[in-house]
Amino acid sequence: MATAPSADFLAALHEYQPLVRRVCRLYCQDADDRQDLFQEIVLQLWRAWPRYVPQPDAKLSTWLYRIALNVAISNLRQRTRRPASVDVEGEAWHLAQPVESSAYEPEETAALYTAINRLSDVDKAFVLLYLEDRPYDEMADILGITQNNVRVKMHRVQEKLRKQLVRA
Amino acid sequence: MELDDLRRQWQQPELAATPALTPTELTRLVARQSGSILEQLRRNASRELGLNYLLVLGTLGVMVGTSQLWLRLLAGMMGLLGLVCIYYFHRKLGLLRSMTDPAGHLRAHLVRITEGLRTLIRFYYRLTLWTGPWTMLLMLGFYLGKELHRAAGPRWLLVGIVAGLALVIGALCQVAIIRFTRWYLQRLYGQHLDRLEGQLRELDEPVEIGK
Repeated sequence: MATAPSADFLAALHEYQPLVRRVCRLYCQDADDRQDLFQEIVLQLWRAWPRYVPQPDAKLSTWLYRIALNVAISNLRQRTRRPASVDVEGEAWHLAQPVESSAYEPEETAALYTAINRLSDVDKAFVLLYLEDRPYDEMADILGITQNNVRVKMHRVQEKLRKQLVRA
Repeated sequence: MELDDLRRQWQQPELAATPALTPTELTRLVARQSGSILEQLRRNASRELGLNYLLVLGTLGVMVGTSQLWLRLLAGMMGLLGLVCIYYFHRKLGLLRSMTDPAGHLRAHLVRITEGLRTLIRFYYRLTLWTGPWTMLLMLGFYLGKELHRAAGPRWLLVGIVAGLALVIGALCQVAIIRFTRWYLQRLYGQHLDRLEGQLRELDEPVEIGK
């Protein structure tokens, strides 16, 4: 039987749950898969929490992004419900609904989501961190590559997306 | 529309925002078993480790309880096999434990999992290669022991024929085991290893400014 999560873990999870949900949203199109991934990430966060040591130069969010992305990308689970090519249009429409009115047509947003879904898992990590507004130094810290590398790869990912959108 | 435009609406709360987990829900969630293959391997290895401890205890019991030398010898050989398996499962568990810590950066995590999986495959393959001949030797030993204890004396011609047959069948079985093990390992871990190595290659792609 697992012990009850500590109050500080609960508080951290309460604050960062939307972050974890956004990671799952980007990596899983299927609702069941998304829920599975969410549970797996929370489970791994809880297990890693006792080893987490707050440091003045390291943010809690960086630690959370690392675990969430590591679990999502290296996700060593049987992928029976995850076909290589999936029709994401419906999901993309759902994801594309903003709270506030957007200057863009919903079709444009859906097309961009579809293009993102076609990227590799590693490229999606760059997209996620970019959408999350993480600075390059933090992205480098999360991904384990140099800032220069992050900058160049981010540029490449954006190029890939542009090409896909033009083709679409 | 570009990523910069999407970024503005990405972090806005969803229309039907999911409520935060309550402590009870979270307690239930963390009590569940992980669906990760590594966790499944860990659970299986723990179970098999327990079984091997029982096997070693059982063989010790036989060795103490019997007065027949050949039975003692057989129990000893079986116990030895159990000890090798215990060593293997302890190492496997240690390796799996080191692979399941996801707190490092992505690249280090991928390297650790890839290398860990390769080591696991190597372990498993070597153990399987040794288990076949060792089991055959045990069976032969058991048969030889019975023959030596026959009241009318051992039938050496029959022993020779059985030993020859065991050698031929053992060799054929070993070839089949090797082929099956390779196929099984490829099926079980191959797709994951390929994917992880592909992701590492992607992260390690050389950066050329201007490209």
